Amino acid sequence: MSIKKSDIEHLCNLSKLNLDEEEKSLFLNQMKSILEMIQELEEVDTGDIVPMAHPLQMSQRLREDEITESNERNKYQKNTDSAEDGFYKVPKVID
Amino acid sequence: MKRHTVKELQNMLADQSISSEEIHQIYLNRIKSMNDSINAFISIESDEISLSSEQKNSEIKGIPYALKDIFCSEGDKTTCGSKMLANFVSPYDATVVRNLREKGTVILGKTNMDEFAMGSSNETSFYGNVLNPWDEERTPGGSSGGSAAAVAAGMAPIALGTDTGGSIRQPAALTGITGLKPTYGRCSRFGMIAFASSLDQAGILSISAEDAAIFLEHMAGYDQKDSTSSIEEVPKYTEFLNNDLTGKVVGLPREFFDGSLDSKYQTLVTESIHEYEKMGVQFKDISLPNIKYSVPTYYVVAPAECSSNLARYDGVRFGHRSSEGTDLDSFYKQTRKEGFGPEVKRRIITGTYVLSAGYYDAYYLKAQKVRQLINQDFLNAFEEVDVIMGPTTQQSAFKLGDKLDDPVSMYMNDIYTISSNLSGVPAISHPIGFVDNLPFGLQVIAPHFMEHDLLNIVHQYQMSTDWHLQTPNLCREFD
Repeated sequence: MSIKKSDIEHLCNLSKLNLDEEEKSLFLNQMKSILEMIQELEEVDTGDIVPMAHPLQMSQRLREDEITESNERNKYQKNTDSAEDGFYKVPKVID
Repeated sequence: MKRHTVKELQNMLADQSISSEEIHQIYLNRIKSMNDSINAFISIESDEISLSSEQKNSEIKGIPYALKDIFCSEGDKTTCGSKMLANFVSPYDATVVRNLREKGTVILGKTNMDEFAMGSSNETSFYGNVLNPWDEERTPGGSSGGSAAAVAAGMAPIALGTDTGGSIRQPAALTGITGLKPTYGRCSRFGMIAFASSLDQAGILSISAEDAAIFLEHMAGYDQKDSTSSIEEVPKYTEFLNNDLTGKVVGLPREFFDGSLDSKYQTLVTESIHEYEKMGVQFKDISLPNIKYSVPTYYVVAPAECSSNLARYDGVRFGHRSSEGTDLDSFYKQTRKEGFGPEVKRRIITGTYVLSAGYYDAYYLKAQKVRQLINQDFLNAFEEVDVIMGPTTQQSAFKLGDKLDDPVSMYMNDIYTISSNLSGVPAISHPIGFVDNLPFGLQVIAPHFMEHDLLNIVHQYQMSTDWHLQTPNLCREFD
Protein backbone atom coordinates (compact mmCIF):
# COMPACT_ATOMS: atom_id res chain seq x y z
CA MET A 1 0.00 0.00 0.00
CA SER A 2 2.30 2.71 -1.21
CA ILE A 3 0.99 6.24 -0.83
CA LYS A 4 1.21 8.53 -3.86
CA LYS A 5 1.10 12.27 -4.42
CA SER A 6 -2.42 11.95 -5.82
CA ASP A 7 -3.47 10.34 -2.50
CA ILE A 8 -2.12 13.35 -0.62
CA GLU A 9 -4.14 15.64 -2.90
CA HIS A 10 -7.28 13.57 -2.29
CA LEU A 11 -6.67 13.72 1.49
CA CYS A 12 -6.20 17.49 1.29
CA ASN A 13 -9.58 17.74 -0.32
CA LEU A 14 -11.22 15.47 2.27
CA SER A 15 -9.72 17.43 5.15
CA LYS A 16 -10.29 20.88 3.56
CA LEU A 17 -6.66 21.81 3.67
CA ASN A 18 -4.51 23.48 1.01
CA LEU A 19 -0.87 22.44 0.88
CA ASP A 20 1.78 23.92 -1.36
CA GLU A 21 3.82 21.64 -3.64
CA GLU A 22 6.79 21.59 -1.30
CA GLU A 23 4.64 20.49 1.65
CA LYS A 24 3.01 17.79 -0.46
CA SER A 25 6.31 16.14 -1.34
CA LEU A 26 7.65 16.54 2.20
CA PHE A 27 4.52 14.96 3.70
CA LEU A 28 4.56 12.20 1.08
CA ASN A 29 8.01 11.11 2.22
CA GLN A 30 7.25 11.51 5.91
CA MET A 31 3.97 9.65 5.61
CA LYS A 32 5.71 6.78 3.86
CA SER A 33 7.90 6.25 6.90
CA ILE A 34 4.97 6.74 9.31
CA LEU A 35 2.87 4.19 7.43
CA GLU A 36 5.80 1.80 7.35
CA MET A 37 5.95 2.04 11.16
CA ILE A 38 2.19 1.58 11.47
CA GLN A 39 2.29 -1.51 9.28
CA GLU A 40 4.00 -3.35 12.13
CA LEU A 41 0.48 -3.78 13.50
CA GLU A 42 -0.27 -6.26 10.72
CA GLU A 43 1.81 -8.93 12.47
CA VAL A 44 -0.45 -8.88 15.55
CA ASP A 45 -3.09 -11.61 15.70
CA THR A 46 -6.26 -9.74 16.61
CA GLY A 47 -8.75 -12.44 15.51
CA ASP A 48 -11.74 -11.99 17.83
CA ILE A 49 -10.44 -9.09 19.91
CA VAL A 50 -13.06 -6.45 20.69
CA PRO A 51 -11.86 -3.03 19.48
CA MET A 52 -11.18 -0.56 22.31
CA ALA A 53 -12.57 2.88 21.53
CA HIS A 54 -12.32 4.28 25.01
CA PRO A 55 -10.24 3.58 28.13
CA LEU A 56 -13.09 3.34 30.62
CA GLN A 57 -15.70 0.70 30.00
CA MET A 58 -18.70 2.82 30.78
CA SER A 59 -21.99 3.77 29.28
CA GLN A 60 -23.15 7.29 28.60
CA ARG A 61 -24.80 8.85 31.65
CA LEU A 62 -28.01 10.72 30.99
CA ARG A 63 -29.32 13.67 32.95
CA GLU A 64 -32.69 15.32 33.31
CA ASP A 65 -33.63 17.23 30.19
CA GLU A 66 -33.53 20.67 31.78
CA ILE A 67 -32.21 23.96 30.45
CA THR A 68 -28.87 24.58 32.12
CA GLU A 69 -27.30 27.17 29.84
CA SER A 70 -28.48 30.58 28.82
CA ASN A 71 -28.07 32.06 25.35
CA GLU A 72 -24.70 33.80 25.24
CA ARG A 73 -24.51 34.39 21.52
CA ASN A 74 -23.24 37.94 21.82
CA LYS A 75 -20.45 36.90 24.14
CA TYR A 76 -19.35 34.04 21.88
CA GLN A 77 -19.54 36.16 18.74
CA LYS A 78 -16.91 38.49 20.16
CA ASN A 79 -14.39 35.96 18.89
CA THR A 80 -15.00 36.91 15.27
CA ASP A 81 -15.19 40.18 13.41
CA SER A 82 -17.34 38.61 10.73
CA ALA A 83 -20.61 38.41 12.68
CA GLU A 84 -23.51 40.69 11.80
CA ASP A 85 -26.99 40.91 13.35
CA GLY A 86 -26.29 37.65 15.19
CA PHE A 87 -25.28 35.83 11.99
CA TYR A 88 -21.86 34.67 10.81
CA LYS A 89 -20.75 35.84 7.40
CA VAL A 90 -19.27 33.32 4.94
CA PRO A 91 -18.50 33.45 1.20
CA LYS A 92 -21.57 33.16 -0.99
CA VAL A 93 -22.87 29.57 -1.03
CA ILE A 94 -25.93 29.77 -3.32
CA ASP A 95 -26.08 31.90 -6.47
CA MET B 1 14.24 34.01 45.71
CA LYS B 2 14.95 30.31 45.67
CA ARG B 3 12.52 27.88 44.13
CA HIS B 4 9.62 27.10 46.47
CA THR B 5 7.26 24.18 46.59
CA VAL B 6 3.52 24.71 46.99
CA LYS B 7 3.87 23.16 50.45
CA GLU B 8 6.46 25.77 51.44
CA LEU B 9 4.30 28.60 50.12
CA GLN B 10 1.35 27.23 52.10
CA ASN B 11 3.45 27.31 55.25
CA MET B 12 4.68 30.83 54.55
CA LEU B 13 1.10 32.01 54.02
CA ALA B 14 -0.06 30.22 57.15
CA ASP B 15 2.52 31.83 59.42
CA GLN B 16 1.91 35.15 57.64
CA SER B 17 5.55 35.64 56.71
CA ILE B 18 4.35 36.62 53.24
CA SER B 19 1.04 37.64 51.66
CA SER B 20 -0.51 36.10 48.56
CA GLU B 21 -0.11 39.45 46.77
CA GLU B 22 3.62 39.41 47.53
CA ILE B 23 3.97 35.84 46.29
CA HIS B 24 2.14 36.76 43.09
CA GLN B 25 4.42 39.75 42.52
CA ILE B 26 7.60 37.79 43.14
CA TYR B 27 6.64 35.21 40.52
CA LEU B 28 5.53 37.85 38.02
CA ASN B 29 8.86 39.63 38.40
CA ARG B 30 10.68 36.38 37.92
CA ILE B 31 8.67 35.54 34.80
CA LYS B 32 9.31 39.00 33.38
CA SER B 33 13.05 38.77 33.93
CA MET B 34 13.45 35.15 32.76
CA ASN B 35 10.93 34.68 29.98
CA ASP B 36 13.14 36.23 27.30
CA SER B 37 15.71 33.50 27.97
CA ILE B 38 13.30 30.57 28.32
CA ASN B 39 10.17 31.50 26.32
CA ALA B 40 8.05 29.41 28.69
CA PHE B 41 5.06 31.77 28.63
CA ILE B 42 2.96 32.86 25.66
CA SER B 43 1.06 35.37 27.76
CA ILE B 44 1.47 36.73 31.27
CA GLU B 45 -1.58 37.53 33.38
CA SER B 46 -0.25 40.48 35.27
CA ASP B 47 -3.56 41.89 36.50
CA GLU B 48 -3.62 42.62 40.18
CA ILE B 49 -5.09 39.73 42.01
CA SER B 50 -8.27 40.16 43.94
CA LEU B 51 -9.11 37.22 46.11
CA SER B 52 -12.80 37.64 46.58
CA SER B 53 -14.74 36.34 49.53
CA GLU B 54 -16.64 34.05 47.15
CA GLN B 55 -13.52 32.00 46.89
CA LYS B 56 -13.55 29.40 49.55
CA ASN B 57 -10.96 29.69 52.23
CA SER B 58 -9.12 26.66 50.93
CA GLU B 59 -5.68 25.32 51.67
CA ILE B 60 -4.51 26.48 48.22
CA LYS B 61 -5.93 30.01 48.44
CA GLY B 62 -3.36 32.48 47.17
CA ILE B 63 -1.16 29.86 45.48
CA PRO B 64 -0.22 30.95 41.95
CA TYR B 65 0.21 28.50 39.09
CA ALA B 66 1.12 28.45 35.40
CA LEU B 67 -1.51 27.21 32.98
CA LYS B 68 -0.76 25.43 29.72
CA ASP B 69 -2.23 27.51 26.91
CA ILE B 70 -4.50 24.61 25.93
CA PHE B 71 -6.89 25.35 28.83
CA CYS B 72 -9.59 27.95 28.41
CA SER B 73 -9.50 30.61 31.12
CA GLU B 74 -12.22 33.21 30.97
CA GLY B 75 -11.19 36.51 29.44
CA ASP B 76 -7.67 35.31 28.63
CA LYS B 77 -6.09 34.70 25.26
CA THR B 78 -5.91 30.92 24.67
CA THR B 79 -3.76 30.08 21.64
CA CYS B 80 -3.02 26.35 22.00
CA GLY B 81 0.40 27.21 20.56
CA SER B 82 -1.20 27.88 17.18
CA LYS B 83 -1.58 30.76 14.78
CA MET B 84 -5.12 29.42 14.32
CA LEU B 85 -6.09 30.69 17.80
CA ALA B 86 -3.72 33.67 17.99
CA ASN B 87 -6.60 36.04 18.77
CA PHE B 88 -8.95 33.66 20.54
CA VAL B 89 -10.16 34.88 23.93
CA SER B 90 -11.81 32.20 26.07
CA PRO B 91 -15.42 33.09 26.87
CA TYR B 92 -15.44 30.60 29.78
CA ASP B 93 -13.19 28.61 32.11
CA ALA B 94 -12.21 25.01 31.63
CA THR B 95 -13.69 23.01 34.51
CA VAL B 96 -10.28 22.29 36.07
CA VAL B 97 -9.46 26.00 35.90
CA ARG B 98 -12.84 26.85 37.43
CA ASN B 99 -12.27 24.30 40.20
CA LEU B 100 -8.92 25.84 41.06
CA ARG B 101 -10.21 29.41 40.72
CA GLU B 102 -13.00 28.72 43.20
CA LYS B 103 -10.37 27.62 45.69
CA GLY B 104 -8.56 30.95 45.37
CA THR B 105 -5.57 30.01 43.19
CA VAL B 106 -4.12 32.58 40.82
CA ILE B 107 -3.10 32.11 37.16
CA LEU B 108 0.37 33.58 36.49
CA GLY B 109 0.22 33.14 32.75
CA LYS B 110 -0.42 30.76 29.88
CA THR B 111 2.48 28.51 28.99
CA ASN B 112 4.02 27.70 25.66
CA MET B 113 3.39 24.32 24.09
CA ASP B 114 3.66 22.36 20.88
CA GLU B 115 0.92 23.43 18.47
CA PHE B 116 -2.34 21.77 19.56
CA ALA B 117 -0.17 19.62 21.87
CA MET B 118 1.30 17.77 18.89
CA GLY B 119 5.01 17.38 19.45
CA SER B 120 7.61 16.15 21.90
CA SER B 121 10.09 19.03 21.82
CA ASN B 122 8.02 22.23 21.89
CA GLU B 123 9.44 23.10 18.48
CA THR B 124 6.07 23.01 16.72
CA SER B 125 4.77 26.04 18.69
CA PHE B 126 3.85 29.05 16.56
CA TYR B 127 5.31 31.16 19.38
CA GLY B 128 8.85 29.77 19.15
CA ASN B 129 10.39 26.88 21.01
CA VAL B 130 10.90 26.79 24.76
CA LEU B 131 14.47 26.43 26.01
CA ASN B 132 15.46 23.91 28.65
CA PRO B 133 16.59 25.75 31.80
CA TRP B 134 19.29 23.09 32.30
CA ASP B 135 20.83 23.77 28.90
CA GLU B 136 19.51 26.44 26.61
CA GLU B 137 20.59 24.58 23.47
CA ARG B 138 18.23 21.77 24.37
CA THR B 139 14.53 21.08 24.32
CA PRO B 140 12.50 20.97 27.54
CA GLY B 141 10.43 18.24 25.87
CA GLY B 142 6.82 18.57 24.88
CA SER B 143 4.12 19.18 24.47
CA SER B 144 3.81 20.76 27.97
CA GLY B 145 7.35 22.16 27.60
CA GLY B 146 6.45 25.67 28.73
CA SER B 147 4.82 24.39 31.92
CA ALA B 148 7.82 22.13 32.63
CA ALA B 149 10.41 24.84 32.00
CA ALA B 150 8.43 27.34 34.11
CA VAL B 151 8.42 25.03 37.15
CA ALA B 152 12.04 23.91 36.65
CA ALA B 153 13.23 27.52 36.43
CA GLY B 154 11.17 28.66 39.42
CA MET B 155 8.93 30.93 37.32
CA ALA B 156 5.92 29.15 38.85
CA PRO B 157 5.66 26.83 41.86
CA ILE B 158 3.41 24.43 39.94
CA ALA B 159 1.80 24.18 36.51
CA LEU B 160 -1.03 22.44 34.71
CA GLY B 161 -0.37 20.42 31.59
CA THR B 162 -2.05 17.86 29.41
CA ASP B 163 -0.83 14.41 28.47
CA THR B 164 -2.02 12.59 25.35
CA GLY B 165 1.03 10.37 24.76
CA GLY B 166 3.54 11.58 27.33
CA SER B 167 3.19 15.35 27.13
CA ILE B 168 3.43 15.84 30.91
CA ARG B 169 5.80 13.02 31.86
CA GLN B 170 8.41 13.45 29.09
CA PRO B 171 8.96 17.22 29.65
CA ALA B 172 8.96 16.62 33.44
CA ALA B 173 11.71 14.03 32.96
CA LEU B 174 13.72 16.30 30.66
CA THR B 175 13.57 19.27 33.06
CA GLY B 176 14.10 17.43 36.35
CA ILE B 177 10.65 17.86 37.86
CA THR B 178 7.67 15.67 38.80
CA GLY B 179 4.89 15.12 36.24
CA LEU B 180 1.61 13.33 36.89
CA LYS B 181 -0.82 12.10 34.25
CA PRO B 182 -3.93 11.00 36.14
CA THR B 183 -6.30 8.25 35.02
CA TYR B 184 -8.27 9.03 31.88
CA GLY B 185 -11.48 10.69 33.11
CA ARG B 186 -10.08 11.67 36.53
CA CYS B 187 -10.13 15.35 35.56
CA SER B 188 -12.72 16.97 33.34
CA ARG B 189 -11.73 17.70 29.76
CA PHE B 190 -14.33 20.46 29.40
CA GLY B 191 -12.63 23.63 28.18
CA MET B 192 -9.40 21.81 27.46
CA ILE B 193 -8.82 22.14 23.73
CA ALA B 194 -9.22 18.65 22.26
CA PHE B 195 -6.46 16.83 20.42
CA ALA B 196 -7.27 13.11 20.82
CA SER B 197 -10.36 12.75 22.96
CA SER B 198 -9.90 9.14 24.06
CA LEU B 199 -6.33 9.85 25.22
CA ASP B 200 -6.19 13.46 26.48
CA GLN B 201 -5.96 14.02 30.22
CA ALA B 202 -5.16 17.06 32.34
CA GLY B 203 -2.41 16.75 34.90
CA ILE B 204 0.23 18.46 36.96
CA LEU B 205 3.88 19.47 36.65
CA SER B 206 5.38 20.22 40.03
CA ILE B 207 8.57 20.10 42.06
CA SER B 208 7.31 17.33 44.33
CA ALA B 209 4.72 14.56 44.42
CA GLU B 210 3.35 16.18 47.56
CA ASP B 211 2.54 19.34 45.61
CA ALA B 212 0.84 17.28 42.90
CA ALA B 213 -1.29 15.60 45.59
CA ILE B 214 -2.30 18.97 47.01
CA PHE B 215 -3.43 20.28 43.62
CA LEU B 216 -5.02 17.10 42.25
CA GLU B 217 -7.47 16.96 45.16
CA HIS B 218 -8.92 20.26 44.00
CA MET B 219 -8.74 19.74 40.22
CA ALA B 220 -10.21 16.26 39.88
CA GLY B 221 -13.78 15.06 39.93
CA TYR B 222 -16.88 14.36 37.92
CA ASP B 223 -18.14 17.13 35.66
CA GLN B 224 -21.57 17.16 34.05
CA LYS B 225 -20.03 19.01 31.12
CA ASP B 226 -17.71 16.10 30.30
CA SER B 227 -19.62 12.84 29.99
CA THR B 228 -16.33 10.92 29.94
CA SER B 229 -15.29 12.25 33.35
CA SER B 230 -15.46 9.65 36.07
CA ILE B 231 -17.92 9.50 38.97
CA GLU B 232 -15.28 7.65 41.00
CA GLU B 233 -14.84 9.48 44.31
CA VAL B 234 -11.78 11.74 44.56
CA PRO B 235 -9.61 10.57 47.46
CA LYS B 236 -7.82 12.97 49.77
CA TYR B 237 -4.47 12.29 48.10
CA THR B 238 -2.38 14.02 50.76
CA GLU B 239 -3.58 11.55 53.40
CA PHE B 240 -1.87 8.67 51.58
CA LEU B 241 1.54 10.31 51.18
CA ASN B 242 3.13 8.90 54.31
CA ASN B 243 1.97 5.31 53.97
CA ASP B 244 4.73 2.77 54.51
CA LEU B 245 5.96 1.14 51.27
CA THR B 246 6.95 -2.14 52.90
CA GLY B 247 5.52 -5.04 50.95
CA LYS B 248 4.63 -3.06 47.84
CA VAL B 249 5.29 -5.11 44.75
CA VAL B 250 6.70 -3.32 41.72
CA GLY B 251 6.77 -4.87 38.28
CA LEU B 252 9.73 -4.32 35.97
CA PRO B 253 8.56 -5.10 32.44
CA ARG B 254 11.30 -6.84 30.51
CA GLU B 255 10.19 -4.84 27.46
CA PHE B 256 11.33 -1.64 29.26
CA PHE B 257 14.62 -3.30 30.22
CA ASP B 258 15.53 -4.93 26.92
CA GLY B 259 19.04 -3.52 26.75
CA SER B 260 18.13 -0.65 24.44
CA LEU B 261 18.59 1.97 27.17
CA ASP B 262 22.08 3.49 27.21
CA SER B 263 24.07 2.18 30.17
CA LYS B 264 24.55 5.66 31.67
CA TYR B 265 20.77 5.98 32.05
CA GLN B 266 20.36 2.34 33.06
CA THR B 267 22.73 3.00 35.97
CA LEU B 268 20.44 5.73 37.30
CA VAL B 269 17.38 3.49 36.97
CA THR B 270 19.18 0.70 38.84
CA GLU B 271 20.22 3.11 41.61
CA SER B 272 16.65 4.32 42.03
CA ILE B 273 15.44 0.73 42.26
CA HIS B 274 17.98 0.12 45.03
CA GLU B 275 16.68 3.20 46.81
CA TYR B 276 13.16 1.82 46.64
CA GLU B 277 14.38 -1.57 47.88
CA LYS B 278 15.70 0.14 50.98
CA MET B 279 12.13 1.28 51.66
CA GLY B 280 10.88 -2.30 51.64
CA VAL B 281 9.60 -2.38 48.07
CA GLN B 282 9.85 -5.74 46.29
CA PHE B 283 10.59 -6.04 42.61
CA LYS B 284 9.34 -8.61 40.19
CA ASP B 285 10.07 -9.20 36.50
CA ILE B 286 6.96 -9.05 34.39
CA SER B 287 6.08 -8.92 30.71
CA LEU B 288 3.84 -6.61 28.72
CA PRO B 289 4.09 -8.52 25.44
CA ASN B 290 2.13 -6.09 23.25
CA ILE B 291 3.71 -2.90 24.58
CA LYS B 292 6.06 -2.75 21.58
CA TYR B 293 3.05 -1.93 19.42
CA SER B 294 2.17 1.17 21.48
CA VAL B 295 3.82 3.71 19.20
CA PRO B 296 2.28 2.43 15.93
CA THR B 297 -1.12 2.04 17.64
CA TYR B 298 -0.94 5.57 18.97
CA TYR B 299 0.05 7.01 15.61
CA VAL B 300 -3.15 5.61 14.13
CA VAL B 301 -5.54 6.47 16.97
CA ALA B 302 -4.21 9.94 17.85
CA PRO B 303 -4.08 11.37 14.29
CA ALA B 304 -7.53 9.87 13.57
CA GLU B 305 -9.03 11.65 16.58
CA CYS B 306 -7.02 14.78 15.79
CA SER B 307 -8.36 14.96 12.24
CA SER B 308 -11.93 14.81 13.58
CA ASN B 309 -11.39 17.26 16.43
CA LEU B 310 -9.57 19.83 14.32
CA ALA B 311 -12.33 19.87 11.70
CA ARG B 312 -13.96 22.62 13.82
CA TYR B 313 -11.32 25.18 12.80
CA ASP B 314 -13.05 26.52 9.73
CA GLY B 315 -12.51 30.27 10.14
CA VAL B 316 -16.20 31.03 10.60
CA ARG B 317 -17.07 31.36 14.30
CA PHE B 318 -13.66 31.88 15.89
CA GLY B 319 -9.99 31.53 15.12
CA HIS B 320 -7.95 32.55 12.12
CA ARG B 321 -9.98 33.58 9.07
CA SER B 322 -8.42 33.81 5.65
CA SER B 323 -9.11 36.88 3.58
CA GLU B 324 -8.76 34.72 0.46
CA GLY B 325 -11.16 32.19 -1.00
CA THR B 326 -14.02 33.02 -3.29
CA ASP B 327 -16.30 30.14 -2.33
CA LEU B 328 -16.86 28.27 0.91
CA ASP B 329 -14.61 25.35 -0.02
CA SER B 330 -11.59 27.44 -0.98
CA PHE B 331 -12.20 29.69 2.04
CA TYR B 332 -12.01 26.68 4.42
CA LYS B 333 -8.96 25.26 2.70
CA GLN B 334 -7.07 28.53 2.69
CA THR B 335 -8.01 29.34 6.30
CA ARG B 336 -6.67 25.96 7.45
CA LYS B 337 -3.53 26.26 5.30
CA GLU B 338 -2.71 29.63 6.86
CA GLY B 339 -3.73 28.76 10.43
CA PHE B 340 -2.06 25.38 11.00
CA GLY B 341 1.65 24.56 11.15
CA PRO B 342 3.32 21.57 9.42
CA GLU B 343 3.10 19.00 12.26
CA VAL B 344 -0.62 19.61 12.71
CA LYS B 345 -1.25 19.48 8.96
CA ARG B 346 0.61 16.21 8.60
CA ARG B 347 -1.36 14.66 11.47
CA ILE B 348 -4.67 15.82 9.99
CA ILE B 349 -3.68 14.25 6.66
CA THR B 350 -2.49 11.04 8.35
CA GLY B 351 -5.66 10.83 10.44
CA THR B 352 -7.84 11.40 7.42
CA TYR B 353 -5.93 8.65 5.62
CA VAL B 354 -6.36 5.99 8.34
CA LEU B 355 -10.07 6.80 8.63
CA SER B 356 -10.79 6.94 4.90
CA ALA B 357 -12.83 4.36 3.00
CA GLY B 358 -10.75 1.31 2.18
CA TYR B 359 -8.23 1.87 4.96
CA TYR B 360 -10.47 2.12 8.03
CA ASP B 361 -10.42 -1.61 8.83
CA ALA B 362 -6.76 -2.10 8.01
CA TYR B 363 -5.55 0.80 10.12
CA TYR B 364 -8.07 2.29 12.54
CA LEU B 365 -10.01 -0.83 13.52
CA LYS B 366 -6.80 -2.83 13.68
CA ALA B 367 -5.22 -0.23 15.97
CA GLN B 368 -8.26 -0.26 18.27
CA LYS B 369 -7.92 -4.03 18.60
CA VAL B 370 -4.22 -3.82 19.38
CA ARG B 371 -5.10 -1.09 21.90
CA GLN B 372 -7.32 -3.63 23.63
CA LEU B 373 -4.41 -6.09 23.81
CA ILE B 374 -2.12 -3.43 25.29
CA ASN B 375 -4.80 -2.60 27.86
CA GLN B 376 -5.17 -6.30 28.67
CA ASP B 377 -1.40 -6.53 29.24
CA PHE B 378 -1.69 -3.86 31.94
CA LEU B 379 -4.74 -5.49 33.55
CA ASN B 380 -2.93 -8.83 33.65
CA ALA B 381 0.23 -7.26 35.10
CA PHE B 382 -1.72 -5.51 37.84
CA GLU B 383 -3.04 -8.90 38.99
CA GLU B 384 0.52 -9.58 40.12
CA VAL B 385 2.01 -6.20 41.02
CA ASP B 386 0.90 -2.92 42.61
CA VAL B 387 2.71 -0.63 40.20
CA ILE B 388 5.08 -0.80 37.24
CA MET B 389 8.37 1.09 36.96
CA GLY B 390 10.74 1.93 34.14
CA PRO B 391 12.53 4.85 32.50
CA THR B 392 10.30 7.74 31.37
CA THR B 393 12.37 8.40 28.25
CA GLN B 394 15.21 6.76 26.32
CA GLN B 395 17.51 9.74 26.74
CA SER B 396 17.85 13.06 28.54
CA ALA B 397 17.04 16.37 26.79
CA PHE B 398 18.19 16.39 23.16
CA LYS B 399 19.39 19.39 21.17
CA LEU B 400 16.86 21.64 19.52
CA GLY B 401 16.49 20.79 15.84
CA ASP B 402 17.87 17.26 16.27
CA LYS B 403 14.69 15.38 15.41
CA LEU B 404 12.50 18.00 13.84
CA ASP B 405 12.72 16.65 10.29
CA ASP B 406 12.25 13.01 11.17
CA PRO B 407 8.77 12.43 12.62
CA VAL B 408 9.25 8.73 13.33
CA SER B 409 12.39 9.38 15.36
CA MET B 410 10.55 12.18 17.22
CA TYR B 411 7.60 9.86 17.88
CA MET B 412 9.94 7.29 19.46
CA ASN B 413 10.47 9.80 22.29
CA ASP B 414 7.20 8.60 23.72
CA ILE B 415 7.96 4.90 23.54
CA TYR B 416 7.62 4.37 27.32
CA THR B 417 4.81 6.83 27.99
CA ILE B 418 2.24 6.20 25.24
CA SER B 419 0.96 2.85 26.54
CA SER B 420 -0.54 4.43 29.70
CA ASN B 421 -2.61 6.79 27.55
CA LEU B 422 -3.83 3.91 25.39
CA SER B 423 -4.90 2.00 28.49
CA GLY B 424 -5.99 5.09 30.46
CA VAL B 425 -3.95 4.19 33.55
CA PRO B 426 -2.29 6.91 35.65
CA ALA B 427 1.48 7.41 35.52
CA ILE B 428 4.02 9.73 37.08
CA SER B 429 7.60 10.70 36.21
CA HIS B 430 10.06 11.84 38.84
CA PRO B 431 13.74 12.82 38.66
CA ILE B 432 16.29 10.19 39.70
CA GLY B 433 19.63 11.80 38.87
CA PHE B 434 21.74 13.40 36.18
CA VAL B 435 23.80 12.37 33.17
CA ASP B 436 26.17 15.08 31.93
CA ASN B 437 24.31 17.66 34.04
CA LEU B 438 20.97 16.80 32.45
CA PRO B 439 18.14 15.33 34.53
CA PHE B 440 16.64 11.91 33.89
CA GLY B 441 13.30 10.51 35.05
CA LEU B 442 11.74 7.28 36.32
CA GLN B 443 8.15 6.48 35.44
CA VAL B 444 5.74 4.74 37.81
CA ILE B 445 2.46 3.38 36.40
CA ALA B 446 -0.52 2.29 38.53
CA PRO B 447 -3.92 0.68 37.90
CA HIS B 448 -6.85 2.96 37.01
CA PHE B 449 -7.71 5.47 39.78
CA MET B 450 -4.71 4.55 41.96
CA GLU B 451 -3.09 8.01 41.80
CA HIS B 452 -2.84 7.97 45.61
CA ASP B 453 -0.50 4.99 45.32
CA LEU B 454 1.72 6.77 42.77
CA LEU B 455 1.89 9.92 44.85
CA ASN B 456 2.61 7.94 48.03
CA ILE B 457 5.44 5.99 46.36
CA VAL B 458 7.12 9.02 44.79
CA HIS B 459 6.69 11.11 47.94
CA GLN B 460 8.49 8.44 49.96
CA TYR B 461 11.34 8.44 47.43
CA GLN B 462 11.51 12.22 47.57
CA MET B 463 11.63 12.15 51.37
CA SER B 464 14.88 10.18 51.25
CA THR B 465 16.48 11.74 48.14
CA ASP B 466 16.87 15.28 46.87
CA TRP B 467 17.05 14.91 43.08
CA HIS B 468 13.72 16.76 42.78
CA LEU B 469 15.16 19.74 44.65
CA GLN B 470 18.10 20.32 42.29
CA THR B 471 17.81 23.59 40.40
CA PRO B 472 19.38 24.66 37.11
CA ASN B 473 22.37 27.02 37.29
CA LEU B 474 20.34 29.48 35.27
CA CYS B 475 18.06 30.03 38.28
CA ARG B 476 20.95 31.36 40.32
CA GLU B 477 21.69 34.03 37.71
CA PHE B 478 18.26 35.47 38.44
CA ASP B 479 18.37 35.10 42.23
